[in-house]
Amino acid sequence: METLNNGAWQRSLLAIAVSCAFAAPAAADDLPAMGEEDSPWQVDVTYENHTVRRENVGLAKFRNTLQAEFDKGVGNGWKVHGIMRGSWDGVYRMNSDEYGNKAGGSINMQSTTPGGYLTTPWGTGPVTYSLVNGAFGLVNNAFVDAYPASNPNAGLRVLGDRWHSINGGVAFAVPVRPCDVDKRGCRDFGGYGDLKRSELEAPEFNDRLDFLRELYAKKDFDLGDGKSLFVKLGRQQVVWGRTDLFRVLDVINPVDFSRNNIYDELSDIRIPMWIAQVEYRMGASDTMQDRNLQFVWNVDKFRPNNLGQCGSPNSILDAGCFFRGMANLWDNGGTVSNFANVAPGTLLATNFGPGQIGLDKVHLPSWSLSNTQFGMKYEGVTQDGLSFSLNALTYRSQLPSLRGGKRATNSFTGVYQDAWPYLISFDMHYPRVNLIGGSMDFQVPAANAAVRVEAAYTDGEEFANTNRPELYSKNNVFRTVIGIDRPTFIPFISETQATLISGQLFYQHIFDHEWKRGSLGPVGMPDWEDNVIGTLLIKAFLKNGMVSPQVIFAHDFKARATVVAPQVEMHLSNDLKVTIGANYKLAEGRSRWEFDDCRACNPFAPFTAPNGDPDPFTSYSRGLAGMEPLGRFRAGPIGAAFKENDLFVKLNYKF
Amino acid sequence: MKKSLRKLLPLFVAASFGTAQAATEADVENTFNPYKAGMPSFAGLKAGMTINKGNADQFKDILGAGVFKLIKEGMFEMKVGPTTQFSISKAYIDATRANLNKTQLGAKPGDMISGYVAGRPFPEEPDAKDPRAGEKLAWNYKYGVNWGDGAIISPFYWQYRNMQTGKVEKEINWDFHFLNFMHRTKDAPVPEITPNPSGIFRAIYVKAHEPQDLKNTQLLIQRFEDDAKLDDAYLYLGFQRRVRRLAQGQATDSFLGSDLMIEDFEGYNGRVSDMKWTYKGTKNVMLPMWNHNELKLSSERSESDGYKYVDFAGQGGCFAEGTWQLRKVYVLEAVPVNPNHPVSKRVFYMDVQLQNLNGSNEIYDRKGELWKVFMVGKSHADHHLPVNKGAGIGIDDAFSMVDVQSKHCTTGQFKGQVDPKKNPPRLFQVQNLRGGD
Repeated sequence: METLNNGAWQRSLLAIAVSCAFAAPAAADDLPAMGEEDSPWQVDVTYENHTVRRENVGLAKFRNTLQAEFDKGVGNGWKVHGIMRGSWDGVYRMNSDEYGNKAGGSINMQSTTPGGYLTTPWGTGPVTYSLVNGAFGLVNNAFVDAYPASNPNAGLRVLGDRWHSINGGVAFAVPVRPCDVDKRGCRDFGGYGDLKRSELEAPEFNDRLDFLRELYAKKDFDLGDGKSLFVKLGRQQVVWGRTDLFRVLDVINPVDFSRNNIYDELSDIRIPMWIAQVEYRMGASDTMQDRNLQFVWNVDKFRPNNLGQCGSPNSILDAGCFFRGMANLWDNGGTVSNFANVAPGTLLATNFGPGQIGLDKVHLPSWSLSNTQFGMKYEGVTQDGLSFSLNALTYRSQLPSLRGGKRATNSFTGVYQDAWPYLISFDMHYPRVNLIGGSMDFQVPAANAAVRVEAAYTDGEEFANTNRPELYSKNNVFRTVIGIDRPTFIPFISETQATLISGQLFYQHIFDHEWKRGSLGPVGMPDWEDNVIGTLLIKAFLKNGMVSPQVIFAHDFKARATVVAPQVEMHLSNDLKVTIGANYKLAEGRSRWEFDDCRACNPFAPFTAPNGDPDPFTSYSRGLAGMEPLGRFRAGPIGAAFKENDLFVKLNYKF
Repeated sequence: MKKSLRKLLPLFVAASFGTAQAATEADVENTFNPYKAGMPSFAGLKAGMTINKGNADQFKDILGAGVFKLIKEGMFEMKVGPTTQFSISKAYIDATRANLNKTQLGAKPGDMISGYVAGRPFPEEPDAKDPRAGEKLAWNYKYGVNWGDGAIISPFYWQYRNMQTGKVEKEINWDFHFLNFMHRTKDAPVPEITPNPSGIFRAIYVKAHEPQDLKNTQLLIQRFEDDAKLDDAYLYLGFQRRVRRLAQGQATDSFLGSDLMIEDFEGYNGRVSDMKWTYKGTKNVMLPMWNHNELKLSSERSESDGYKYVDFAGQGGCFAEGTWQLRKVYVLEAVPVNPNHPVSKRVFYMDVQLQNLNGSNEIYDRKGELWKVFMVGKSHADHHLPVNKGAGIGIDDAFSMVDVQSKHCTTGQFKGQVDPKKNPPRLFQVQNLRGGD
């Protein structure tokens, strides 16, 4: 299997992209000029300051971005396009108590007793080695009485404290300081999770050369008879689909949610990949007005979505904190709230030692030919104006799958096994996913609207599933979005400029969804079998478009979570734009998000069986539930961020 | 028998409007050379003079109502030039001659014409008694030479200006491409580009280069031969990297915040059937038409080939510094069929020789009050870029869209190039947009 180290691979692609750009194929000789002749470099440099103030937190972003976009016609019809971006976010220094070197602190854990919640400092049990040894005579138990100086009760936060209280559920400590300050739980989950403060501050300057947002060469080879071969080679974004915000078909490039959660334009947060794109543009036929066959070969080393490192302002679904906390549990052990069900109505915080529960290995696919990703798309316009695409893609899931029931030391006996069914001992994987789908758009003249539809069916995605010994299952998924755009004259806004109203409904169905009621609560998959998310954009244009107020509503129907995001964009000159906005979340019925946390999975039978369990020697989940760790999948990105209400000011200037 | 007559009656009625007055060879001569008998004149009007608020009343009869208002209120002064010939390409004239009287109007206004092949479909002088004379002129415009079989404007600078302060709020630099797919008369392939299963008659492709927030934005508008079919329009937003289909209503919305809507492009950029057209008479009216290389041009920006742009002056810098000449025009009124249309009426002064619609237009709002005045200055093709010599069209050279209500304007400086090599049909496919940066 051919493998190149990452840096060498990127340099090779860079060389190919640039050398192709200067090549002179004979097929180009008869091309019309079309402005693609040799031309001087065209360079545009822009600056952006994005400052965010978050409710109850203070400064959540002070990011300064300098971007240079450059274009050049290099002759024979080849054009080179590139974007270099460098940013520095001052929030890690300006609000260091929250996000920087002084973030976190000492924390308390919780135990549930019939008399109410008992709060104890992290690291102090009450369930410890001595307690278990004393109570059961388990001299080899692997619990700990205290943690060493390398794992102090400092620089910590309680998992999920940004969006919920412990409230009798599972909770554990999450180190939140940058990884050069506190290495605990630091792992490379795929571009995040192991970053130093300087790397969080200036995220583009890394070994994947992220400052090079785009660099590609492209050319349209005229094949005559209205046909052409379009080639685009290099680091780029390839965008499929027709909808906004949702990524049903738009899954070729991973996305960097650490930049601004779900609130940035996708084109700013797609992570460009080294891709070879070839389109056979067939033009019109006797029955079709336009036909195009596209091949996309993502030859870059795999990268997942960046979900944001724990301790940074944007950690979508709070996932980065869950991963870091779990990795810390594996590496160093830690206290887990409300864990040991030692008596009726009694769940005690427990001091786990290292190597018993948590997240161990992260399997990031290395570069190999078989790990590259390939897609095909047929896109056309029918005689009657229906624009459509048929898409197929084989790729790696950009979201991690946690496969549980892995290796661990039995906390009670000290026995090590390679697999413990139902144990929350995980490895992280990025499985291969195959996707087929399609999209279309058309006009509805009677409604003065344009309709966009997109759908995809995937095979290979993995979901958390407490009904399985390995705590995950592979499920096929169907996703679709329908969007309607309607420019509407709303006289009280403007009599001369239409207001754009754009609504979208996203629907997701998970096939073979597993959910059943256990003795203590529901068991199975926390993700909803069927869910709908709606978005509504109302955007007005005033003063010749120099002022543009807009509001976006998004509502997750199953999570019952809503975000309202108003903003006003003001062009103060051709080169200076100021945007002021906010996003505010609302969530009702948050108890709906709680789900089986596998405290009652009994992996170390019979010791971990719930008190009074009729079948204490069998491992399976009884369904004891809490908000952590699976509530995030039910809350979704809106619900999991419902306490992160932001006000922001953005300034853009072109030099 | 009576039954048969009743059946035949509509045919007779249709035929009477469509072919009652068959066009003649003389009509062809007159329509393409209305100045055969001499150039028009008006008392007191001389080349080299200026019409301003002081003498505007004297020339009110030869000024469009909107232009008169602008001058009368002192917003600009009109430089007068001599009336000149704007000869149309021989191929188009020959096609008109070869297909004389083949075009028939539909049974009722708004219906598609039949029998049209190429050239000017209705070259005869309009008859005020003909209730469908205006519609015939609208068809002449649709199938007029406009930008010929195809052309590009590159670069094309638009400026959004505050008329009161003179502040340039925004400047856009983009390229416009026009291509006729059907009824071509001059540039290969003639008569049409095939295959063309949707029956696209003409397409406009636009790509923006500046400012940064519009960079790489592309627009594609496809107009169909079948006038009953709505245009298809697609927008590629550079900042989204995505092609969006535009709802039809966006053709009547402010285009990217400018004072123009897509429907305003080239004077009128819609279907014939979207309007009720009325011919209001023939008269001589001042239109902005000149020889580009005889103007005092702007020194503000120039091209590497030495090309210079028409300068702007007047209130807020909203008015092209070109000369106006007395032209024979058909006054044409268009009232939108859709009662919710933001415009209540458009008035055109259609140059008889070119039969374009963009010299001196008035656009009225829904209350019936003058909203905007659109003036597109044309240069003779032989007095423009070398590549345009012999193009046989009027080269759009500068435009002003003045919003008289909000005291705002959008101006445009053209570098029009009639160069078929720069307009391959594949530019006008949706897929071409997706290949954008």
